[in-house]
Amino acid sequence: MMKKRIPALMLAAAIAFSAAGCSGGNQPSESSTAPSGEPSTSSATAPDNDLVVAFNTDIQSMDPHNTTDTLSITVSRTMYESLVTFDENQEVVPLLAESYTAEDDNLTYTFKLRQGVKFHDGTDFNADAVIANYERCLADTTLRQNSRVAKWESCTKVDDYTVAIKLKEPNSSFINQFTQFQIVSPKALEEGLDLNKNAAGTGQYTFKEHTEGDHVTVVPFADYWGTKATVDSLTFRAVPEDGSRVAMLQTGEADYIYPMPTVQAAQVDGTDNITVGAVASNIMRYVTLNTNLPELSDKRVRQAMNYAIDKQAYAAVVFSGYCEEVLSCYPSTVSYYSEQTPYTYDLEKAKSLMEEAGYGDGFTLTLWGDNISAEQTGMQFVQQQLAQIGIDVEVLPMEPSTLSDMIYVDEDEAEINMWYVNWSASSFDADGSMRSILHSDMVPPKSANTAYFRNTEFDSLLDQAIKTSDPEQLTDLYAQAQAIVWDEAPWLFLGNDELVYGAKSYVSGITLNPDGSVDVTNAALAQ
Amino acid sequence: MGRYFVKRVLSTIPLLLVISILIFAFIHLIPGDPVRKMLPKEATQEEYEQLKEELGFNDPLPVQYINYMKGIFHGDFGESYKNGLPISEIFPARLKATLTLTLWAILWSVVLGTLIGIVSAVKRGKFLDYAGMVIATSGISVPSFWLGLMLIQIFSVKLGWLPTGQLDSWKGYILPAITMGCSIMGTLARYSRSSMLETMQEDYVRTARAKGQRESLVVLRHAFRNSLVQVVTVVGLQIGGLLAGSVLVETVFSIPGLGRLMVDSINFRDYKVIQALLMFFAVEYIVINLIVDLLYGVLNPKIRYD
Amino acid sequence: MSENTHSVTPNPNEFMDDPVLQNRSRTREFFKKFFQRKTAVVAGCFILFLIIIAIIGPSIAPYDPSAYDYSAIRSGPSAQHIMGTDEFGRDVFSRLLAGARLSLGSALAAVVVGAALGTILGILAGYYGGILEALVMRSSDVLFAMPDILLCIAIVAIIGPGLINVIIAVTVFTIPSFARIMRSATLSVKGSLYVEVARSLGCPDRRILIKHIFPGTVQSMIVNFTMRIGSAILAASSLSFLGFGADVSAPEWGAMLSSGRNYIGVADHLILFPGLIIFLTVLAFNLFGDGLRDTLDPKVK
Repeated sequence: MMKKRIPALMLAAAIAFSAAGCSGGNQPSESSTAPSGEPSTSSATAPDNDLVVAFNTDIQSMDPHNTTDTLSITVSRTMYESLVTFDENQEVVPLLAESYTAEDDNLTYTFKLRQGVKFHDGTDFNADAVIANYERCLADTTLRQNSRVAKWESCTKVDDYTVAIKLKEPNSSFINQFTQFQIVSPKALEEGLDLNKNAAGTGQYTFKEHTEGDHVTVVPFADYWGTKATVDSLTFRAVPEDGSRVAMLQTGEADYIYPMPTVQAAQVDGTDNITVGAVASNIMRYVTLNTNLPELSDKRVRQAMNYAIDKQAYAAVVFSGYCEEVLSCYPSTVSYYSEQTPYTYDLEKAKSLMEEAGYGDGFTLTLWGDNISAEQTGMQFVQQQLAQIGIDVEVLPMEPSTLSDMIYVDEDEAEINMWYVNWSASSFDADGSMRSILHSDMVPPKSANTAYFRNTEFDSLLDQAIKTSDPEQLTDLYAQAQAIVWDEAPWLFLGNDELVYGAKSYVSGITLNPDGSVDVTNAALAQ
Repeated sequence: MGRYFVKRVLSTIPLLLVISILIFAFIHLIPGDPVRKMLPKEATQEEYEQLKEELGFNDPLPVQYINYMKGIFHGDFGESYKNGLPISEIFPARLKATLTLTLWAILWSVVLGTLIGIVSAVKRGKFLDYAGMVIATSGISVPSFWLGLMLIQIFSVKLGWLPTGQLDSWKGYILPAITMGCSIMGTLARYSRSSMLETMQEDYVRTARAKGQRESLVVLRHAFRNSLVQVVTVVGLQIGGLLAGSVLVETVFSIPGLGRLMVDSINFRDYKVIQALLMFFAVEYIVINLIVDLLYGVLNPKIRYD
Repeated sequence: MSENTHSVTPNPNEFMDDPVLQNRSRTREFFKKFFQRKTAVVAGCFILFLIIIAIIGPSIAPYDPSAYDYSAIRSGPSAQHIMGTDEFGRDVFSRLLAGARLSLGSALAAVVVGAALGTILGILAGYYGGILEALVMRSSDVLFAMPDILLCIAIVAIIGPGLINVIIAVTVFTIPSFARIMRSATLSVKGSLYVEVARSLGCPDRRILIKHIFPGTVQSMIVNFTMRIGSAILAASSLSFLGFGADVSAPEWGAMLSSGRNYIGVADHLILFPGLIIFLTVLAFNLFGDGLRDTLDPKVK
């Protein structure tokens, strides 16, 4: 659950993929938004005009109303469009709408639709199409868009090219969420077309083939209303094995891979026409410490453990350097980040804190985590570090489903000691980065506060902040909240890793978003 | 033979039923369920409980089993919880990938394996025998995923001769088929050698020799033909093992076959897919055994079925 | 892992006389024959070497196998580290030496337990027949119908990860092969003259089973035992590869190979050496088993 990064387009800080890349890559090339900004390396040309993008997972659903994983969203965005979308500055801008207005009551939104847009099946795009999509999502409770449209009071046709949406209650995130409401051809919906095998959107690309578990191929849509795609075809491939994915990039079987395993990044960067790039993410890596345990209930012990972790070594060993130290309980990419005094790696201090707490001889703990190899490396690292202050850690990698079964149990049955985990707030906001994992209401089974961290002051700061809209006040409230978490140290604060991709230098226009989704709509291959 | 056939087929029915119950129980013993993975991260505990109820996971297991079997008798294997696709739709493409790969693997390994077996048997105790047997035993001793990774590294990355295993062209089959076939090659070479040695001591082979027939003729016409029974058995059993044993090879080469489907489905707790796959493997194993048994009779008239 | 089904059927004539009486001359003959199989002798020496390593390995390792050095991660083979260092800067050679005990030990444990259970079930099934036999044989049919590796995955998924649980999983898939082989071996011994004589003299079943049947089947058991150790090592490393393995921080060969695969192309020595040692070990056990079979099985002269 916690490890699955969230399909949010929100605040997608679009970092244009530049062919120059950033070798060894620490900071992403933040600036240019123009995909055409191709530096000298563009001398390399692609062997063909078929773009192949390889991911580590397999697509879950091709139904745009039923997607939750980033890959499915990445794929569906090539074929389907929504009325509004995010631009590279994370602003909501019209897409299939020409413009939109929100009433002062924050309840009614009116969208003026673009004219002359055709679906892949030839149907015209108009107000009726939008309403047909609304009705579908409302009627079918198994669709993941269902819970979103259920919050609408109505969706009505004003005229052929105008629709009005009325909400049941004000919702400031409506317009952000609405960027995920993609429009399917009403004809296809009526005929009950299988969206896993057909496409009936308005997007730049139209469906060609889908081999379950292997790949999805889309080809340019000839009647696309906007800028037409330049590649002959675009294939998304599932290549779970890291080594194979890199090998495919090296051999040219894939033109772009994500994620690029960090261990290989430096090695392959600059060879075989490959450039490696990194993008700042919103992922926080940490270990929760069950504060209900007698040893871990002592703040000094928890702080000692933080002092015993060499954060630079963590970044180097686990992420080959593609990781930043974090000086709070969430990374700096998230709003209202407030920097705290670092727990500088200091074994003497750690040992004396342990002595002070009466645990000079150490104790034994278990550490849970996913059985993915990168996670296992991180867990072993923590084990080695804590051994320095006499804490004997037993590393227990588990299969994700088994793990959630053991975590989401009633408190008196909880067996958890430490959990090596990560969190990324889909909305890049401060509340989302803390509430589910630190608020005292959120202890398992309800949510993932597996530190069983209970601090009334912290709780009330969060609860106050959620009702506040004044940025200055928010800065203050969230700063206080972060200071508490930092000082109480219910976690081992490890770091914030970057998203790393690898691409052939003849590829341009692909953008990796901080949430791990990839925008390929402007992709081009140098010929 | 007809009666024997009917008896054998009938006797598999209770076996299959038991297997299906065991598999069902087995799958549901694995901690965790697909529900959490079906829901978005923000989902609340209530939504989780609700979906669980809707999917019928709160029913007692026997009820769930009966419901499941009802579907099967109507030819409905259900849908994947992961992507909502009917299993009957997922299956053929996956089976095709695994089957094609298996056939390629068997093709080369049967030829080479039998050849090594014959040569080793004929040259018993000589250098070629030892060399052949070391090669054959290596085939069954090498960890297939390790071999696969090494082959990719050498032939795809370093030399750039072959793709890493995308099955778009015949070239893509080469490395996975080599990796997969090694163990059959080894097994087959060992079996054909020992069965050749056995048949070469039989009276009729000795007679043929004594009559002054050319050694190569003796080997091929008499000894080899009679050791074919063994070869058929081994190939048959290996096909069964291969379809399932493809897990490792398919993982390494990113081939969307049954093996990878199995691992993915276990990770997702995609119960119906796991169940369907395991049943398929069981049926396939039983059917292949049956065919092998029947082929015995055709190849070796000495064997009688009563 | 593919050798489930081969069975060694001893020639009943061999057992016309009580085997115990002939022990000494048979031992001599055994060694004479065995030493003719040169590959098996080489393999035997290698296994002996491995066993010595497993016993004294940790004490002759040049480095502490768990001592990390973050300043020297993934360095290639050199004079200091003859097989290089791993992702934590630990000495690969020392880890392989230390891991011999774990990898061989766990494979041995799994096969010993599996063989013991399988043998008991097989002999009882063969001797008594009837319902017991049907039950044992049908259960092993069911287990055989499940592919080995999937069976292991399922078991580990249910009982959780860890070295002991991996051993249990491998044990479970070892049982049926022994049960089958021992049953058929028992059947052929059961029909032999000395067993029938013992029976007619009113010898109790337990005595017949222990004194007569078991010694008659022990050859088949030894051969299968040797072969299964190789399978067990392979199965354990495959489980590690798929993420269902033993303790990741222990220097177990399969775990080393599995974590090494992430560094392919970057630090090939991390996958080369553990893979090679697993391969050679399994190869040695298989060749040794072949030698034993050829020597013990009277059919191949």
